[in-house]
Amino acid sequence: MLSLERLQNTVARNVLGKPHFGLSPLLAAGRADPYRRLRIYQNNTRASLTTTLMAVFPVTVRLVDERFFRYAASEFIRRNPPSEPRLVRYGVDFPAFLRTFEGLEEMPFVAETARLEWAIAEALDAASLPSIGLAALDGDDAAATPELVLQPSLRFVISHWPVMSIWSAHQAGGDLDKISSWTRKAERIALWRNGDNVRFALLSSAQFSFRHSLGFGLGLETAAARALTHEPMFDLVGALVSLFGDGLVTAIRIDPAQEK
Amino acid sequence: MPDTLPALSIPKAAGIGLRSPHIAEMLTRRPSAGWLEVHAENYMGDSAAVTALEDLRQTYPLSVHGVGLSIGSAAGLDRDHLERLRRVCERFQPDLVSEHLAWSVADGAYLNDLLPLRYDEAALAIVSRNVEVMQDTLKRQVLIENLSAYVAFADSTMTEAEFLAALAKRSGCGLLLDVNNVYVSAHNIGFDAAEFIDTLPATKIGEIHLAGHAVNELGDDTVLIDDHGSRVPPAVWSLYAGAITKLGPRPTLIEWDTDVPALDVLLGEAMWADMLSASIGFHRRINEPAVEPARRTPIIIPFDRKAAPVRLPALAAFDTVRPARMPKQYEIRSYRHAVA
Repeated sequence: MLSLERLQNTVARNVLGKPHFGLSPLLAAGRADPYRRLRIYQNNTRASLTTTLMAVFPVTVRLVDERFFRYAASEFIRRNPPSEPRLVRYGVDFPAFLRTFEGLEEMPFVAETARLEWAIAEALDAASLPSIGLAALDGDDAAATPELVLQPSLRFVISHWPVMSIWSAHQAGGDLDKISSWTRKAERIALWRNGDNVRFALLSSAQFSFRHSLGFGLGLETAAARALTHEPMFDLVGALVSLFGDGLVTAIRIDPAQEK
Repeated sequence: MPDTLPALSIPKAAGIGLRSPHIAEMLTRRPSAGWLEVHAENYMGDSAAVTALEDLRQTYPLSVHGVGLSIGSAAGLDRDHLERLRRVCERFQPDLVSEHLAWSVADGAYLNDLLPLRYDEAALAIVSRNVEVMQDTLKRQVLIENLSAYVAFADSTMTEAEFLAALAKRSGCGLLLDVNNVYVSAHNIGFDAAEFIDTLPATKIGEIHLAGHAVNELGDDTVLIDDHGSRVPPAVWSLYAGAITKLGPRPTLIEWDTDVPALDVLLGEAMWADMLSASIGFHRRINEPAVEPARRTPIIIPFDRKAAPVRLPALAAFDTVRPARMPKQYEIRSYRHAVA
């Protein structure tokens, strides 16, 4: 008799669509064919995970048509089943999978749009902390450079394709005709959770570099320096005002170790 | 996040499963619902739903129902996931915590479905150990739920009900009786549903689940699929009536996961469960004065039974509740629980 662990591994592989024909004698289902009954688990697994992916990538579904999406999803599920029970974490590898999936190499904007949708899903599962105002920078500790702590839901997407425009056109009230000619055009996007929704900002390369550096904890000085390499006349004050205005700063830290 | 949450205990009355489409309405309307149950895995992040649940937890008693711990895995529990479950319990301080007698993780993959065990001594040792680890980590008793199954393992040496009874004895866990699962498995595998419930130790049953299922024709094989996508059907109501006639009132959850209807439909089903429980409690009180009746007073509304017999299947269950009859008799008269 197979050990329980080997039995479970064998059944699991079967459920994920890698048939193992020695299973039937181990199963029972009253008068029904037990092997056919096992297919119910196969279908449940595939259908529920496909539903999960369709909920996370709704615009991608519309870009490639639902039937093709279901086909791509079932291939993805077979090759990359979830490794843990938190389904909100399932799909992180799906955009990369789509990039090389049959037929989609010619349509790179599909995988790029999926990448934006994954960033949205991540933001929606992250905390939205109370933000602080610009006045908090008014400290008297002039010796140290204040470090800004940003919203944990802040995500960045940079793409060679106008994914933000594609995504927006597929929202309620969006205009699909506007993007009838999908030409290659870079877009830099910051997005973050605001209550039940996600807010977006399309940024210039300098603004993107500034926020991105801050978001990765590189500090205000580095962020400003990097922005200036993109744009020698970079408006630092304007960038700070919009950063606070967007509610992205949650705390200010004066780190003495930064003083040199 | 609030520092302290009120200690709210779950009443022996009906509650509803909180589903994301209803969260906004729950927050604004705060309808009268006995208690709420959530799937633990949906509240392990920091989404808006998590904040909403913290808010709702101030008003409603809460049950946390795990769907992904895979306590039947021979490879042991995923300690990271158990830790996430512990944090969910710490955050929301539920009155009840439950999981399934099933496995869903094997060979490094999470299948997102609940698979049955081979019910034998080896599995009992594995599951008991996993449940003990779970209870030690959460520092509380947990309830373990019976499964809806489409296949069984030929080499099982005991029934699922015998396995659950032994598990409760060995690990000290309580049981969650899912009446719909009993009905679905009884049909699919071929056993007697009422006998299954009779085998479970009555004092260990701390909660009951009710839901609807789908009927699927696979050639000449009729399979019941546990999709939680419709009203509780008459046969499940009558099995529930039989169960609480024997057990007395229990916290009873209305589960609905696919094609989730308007919140009022869920609350309506919960009301039927309360009315059925109260009605049975009333008859029990006449026959056995010592037994505590159901707490809630039923609201009697005029209703024409003939007008909508299909839309409210709960009414069929009331036909089965007669003080003079014993459960076994009406079950045989009205419905077949098992198709052998």
